[in-house]
Amino acid sequence: MIKNYIKTAWRNLLKNKVYSILNILGLAISLACFILIALYVVDELSYDRFHEKAERIYRINSDITMGESQSLPFTSDMMGPTMKQDYPQVEEFVRIYTSNGSKLLRKGNEFIQENRVAHADSTIFEVFTLPLIAGDPDTALKDPRSVVISESAAQKYFSSVDVLGETLETIQGTEYKITGLMQDIPSNSHFRFDFLFSMDNDIYRFGNHISHNFHTYLLLREGTTAQEIEAKFNDYMDRYVMPVAKQVLNINSRKEFEDAGNKLEYSLFPITRIHLYSDRVMEIRPGGDIQYVYIFSAVALFILLIACINFMNLSTARSAGRAREVGIRKVLGSARKQLIQQFLSEAMLMAALAMFLAVGITYLSLPAFNEIAAKTLSIQRIFQPDILVFLLVLPFLVGLLAGSYPALFLSGFKPVQVLKGNLNLGAKGGTFRNVLVVFQFATSIILIIGTIVVYQQLDYIQNKNLGFNKEQVIVVNETHVLGQQAPTFKNEVLEMTGIKNGTLSGYLPVSGSSRSDNTFSKEAVMSTESSFGMQQWIIDEDYIPTMGMELVQGRNFSKKFSTDSTAVILNESAAKIFGPGDVVGKKIYRVSNFETGELTSYEIIGVVKNFHFETLRQNIGPLGFMLGNSTGLASFKVNAANISQVLIGIEQKWESMSTGMPFSYRFMDEAFDEMYRTEQRLGKIALIFSLLAILVACLGLFGLSTFIAEKRIKEIGIRKILGASVNGLVQMLSKDFLKLVIIAFVVATPLAWYAMNQWLQDFVYRIEISWLYFAAAGFLALSIALATVSYHAVKAAMMNPAKNLRSE
Amino acid sequence: MITIDNLEKFYRTEEVQTVALNKLSFQVKEGEFVAIMGPSGCGKSTLLNILGLLDDPDGGSFVFNGTEVSGFNERKRANLRKHNIGFVFQSFNLIDELTVFENVELPLIYTGVKTADRKTRVHEVLEKMGIMHRRNHFPQQLSGGQQQRVAVARAVVNNPKLILADEPTGNLDSSNGNEVMDLLTELNEAGTTIIMVTHSEHDAKYSHRIIRMLDGEKVTENVLV
Repeated sequence: MIKNYIKTAWRNLLKNKVYSILNILGLAISLACFILIALYVVDELSYDRFHEKAERIYRINSDITMGESQSLPFTSDMMGPTMKQDYPQVEEFVRIYTSNGSKLLRKGNEFIQENRVAHADSTIFEVFTLPLIAGDPDTALKDPRSVVISESAAQKYFSSVDVLGETLETIQGTEYKITGLMQDIPSNSHFRFDFLFSMDNDIYRFGNHISHNFHTYLLLREGTTAQEIEAKFNDYMDRYVMPVAKQVLNINSRKEFEDAGNKLEYSLFPITRIHLYSDRVMEIRPGGDIQYVYIFSAVALFILLIACINFMNLSTARSAGRAREVGIRKVLGSARKQLIQQFLSEAMLMAALAMFLAVGITYLSLPAFNEIAAKTLSIQRIFQPDILVFLLVLPFLVGLLAGSYPALFLSGFKPVQVLKGNLNLGAKGGTFRNVLVVFQFATSIILIIGTIVVYQQLDYIQNKNLGFNKEQVIVVNETHVLGQQAPTFKNEVLEMTGIKNGTLSGYLPVSGSSRSDNTFSKEAVMSTESSFGMQQWIIDEDYIPTMGMELVQGRNFSKKFSTDSTAVILNESAAKIFGPGDVVGKKIYRVSNFETGELTSYEIIGVVKNFHFETLRQNIGPLGFMLGNSTGLASFKVNAANISQVLIGIEQKWESMSTGMPFSYRFMDEAFDEMYRTEQRLGKIALIFSLLAILVACLGLFGLSTFIAEKRIKEIGIRKILGASVNGLVQMLSKDFLKLVIIAFVVATPLAWYAMNQWLQDFVYRIEISWLYFAAAGFLALSIALATVSYHAVKAAMMNPAKNLRSE
Repeated sequence: MITIDNLEKFYRTEEVQTVALNKLSFQVKEGEFVAIMGPSGCGKSTLLNILGLLDDPDGGSFVFNGTEVSGFNERKRANLRKHNIGFVFQSFNLIDELTVFENVELPLIYTGVKTADRKTRVHEVLEKMGIMHRRNHFPQQLSGGQQQRVAVARAVVNNPKLILADEPTGNLDSSNGNEVMDLLTELNEAGTTIIMVTHSEHDAKYSHRIIRMLDGEKVTENVLV
């Protein structure tokens, strides 16, 4: 029986090639989208689950409010050891210290900048699952001058994996002995280091409980819940943090501290949630967002649904062709159940063929998708049991979903009626079909509107007045390697033609530069009422003009005033803390000695117009510029048509001074764009999938209009003989479909508006959703639908009417 | 074999009710060959559909092989139909996607005959109809006469007790038509009961008895043999 079904199904496929191609192609495209997104989602959800003890590992987060609120993934260096020592439920701790950023390591005669470096406790190999290929995990990081490197790093530096006992030298001349070789850390990890240096190093000891700089992880004993440990944090704070805070802030109790609106809170965050759920700045690697996982999953499902609807619509629309077969089979004794089985197996056969094609499409499009989504997904992943089983079952599910309605519809025909041909088949099920078409187009229109909004917001971000000018600024990285020569380098570059201005400072209003938060007071006594958190950026006299920032009060730093070394320029947000009016001449204070609580004062000499130094998702917080030596980055404002010429000049200058250090630079506007990579990716992916959605929907519409035009061919013939114009006929045939697209538009508009408004809430600075976006999306959907439908309408209307009528 | 008594069938549109069969009664004995004639719209096809258990009467009784079948549900009718009745249509009604062999095989599949038996029986009947050499062809590749022979083969492959033929020669030229009529006669002589609706006096002469209908009623009945 099954053989007979498949045979009929197969021959039906071959007989109605257009119909089959439309169906299979639509299904294949959407299944490919589905597989791609499934791979993406599975990867996103798999982060940090490869650690055998993943369920018991938590990171300590701190939420600190002192004027400004800060949410950090850090603790003090003392907290980890203290937690283990005082609370037996904590089995082990491990600290990771990355605040130094990159390291320059010697290879032969040059130094290579390595970004995937960290200092870690030796317990890292016990808490996390990071297998060593060589070396003893218990002792590998015990020695202060030891380092464990990854296989890739070993190949890079030694072209061998036999590296135990070799040494690595940093630019500072410190030698580290390689005591372990570890497997490369998988890409689905919230940290990926190639070099793990020992934590047992004087430089990285702070030794107090209030400087928060370390990622601290706790491994809890079996059966211990996170809540049990979190309940201990107040006890910990009272015993260790408050005594230090008392000295610095002049407070007597935690209550007093909190009553003044301040806050210090610790919490445990499961490591398996870090990638998708943590929105803290200063994570080791930029994370994903669970919201996008949901959005993409929904998009995948909707595209699949659109393709299934194509199948339903085409099957029922061309039911006239199948009705006779149904009639005959019923006359010959087929039960309805058998017919339903037959049609379902046809749908499944089609879905299975589409699945083969989809795997091919996935294979071909995966590199491009990886590029856009910034992933390293591999096609082999789909042959692993979990996904493979799913992919094998999927055609059956899709077949069932897409085939059930046509199966019920077709198998319900009365043989007497169909065999006599007096059943108006095309019209039957018309309403339901229309509902489905509306659904398809509403989904497509929502996706189009979404894409437009994402792109508009990105455009807004890129063109917003940021309070500084990021255009034509070249940033030279790692200028601190020049040491004392850095100012000379800056001055010599400034003399080159085409350079308008230049500044030496590690602090820039783009990502990948330094940040430093400090507690200040607006009064000469540090109290909970007077203190506030503020960014403290070290700059030089040329910084403000180079960045194109605007002073609204006072003056810039100047070499003419020797007192400027204890002066500060605030941004408007910081100035606002003093209330309305002029702040120039007032003072702010900062703790200069944590032991004694001694304060240093800074005189306010100017106020700079607010500029965006974090992403546009955040409000502009208080910030103060201070004069000093910060030689991390050199930025040059270029005033030349030929930037490459200028770059060559700067590089030559660098080489003459840097003794073999690599020259690296970036453009500030590109660094700025870097901060919105996630949104740009989202934009691109949304664009692609919304185009695919509308393509698949149009495949269906194309098929549907074919059958409708065929069905009405006699009517068209008669109308033509009676004098209808081609134009009038095209209108008549297109009208019905366009009506559906318009209804879809009406349905889609409020939904899209709501969804995109939700998305925009993430940005403090955002666009207003304009009615123009909706108009554009509606117009686009309507034109595409019109183009699709009119092909058949025109073809049908142009046909020789005599020919159509003769066939009767 | 068949006894119908006061059989009624109405068609309703929104405003009018049309009588298709008006208290029709007659009997057909086993082994008979009956022709039903009458102008278009007289109710012949409606009658044939009811006799073929494709449709249910609105009134009266229909006893098939000693069982009252009026009021049977679709499943019961389908079951009775597939074991007892073969159909031959004016427009052949072969499934275009299936070969000659597969078309003839279908009724056997639906009655659950095993694969090996099916092959033997299909070959037997194709041999008998003289279309064995065409068994792997598709319907469109055959002439009208050949297609109707396939349809007849399909109608008889299950050895039904009754064959219902709806203008079996309507789409055929006279020589092909005569061939089909000869086939039906042979089948009838071998014991199968045949009820045939026809417009053709020529074809009607092959039968034993002609029932003439008008407006859903039997008007005359001539016995030919």
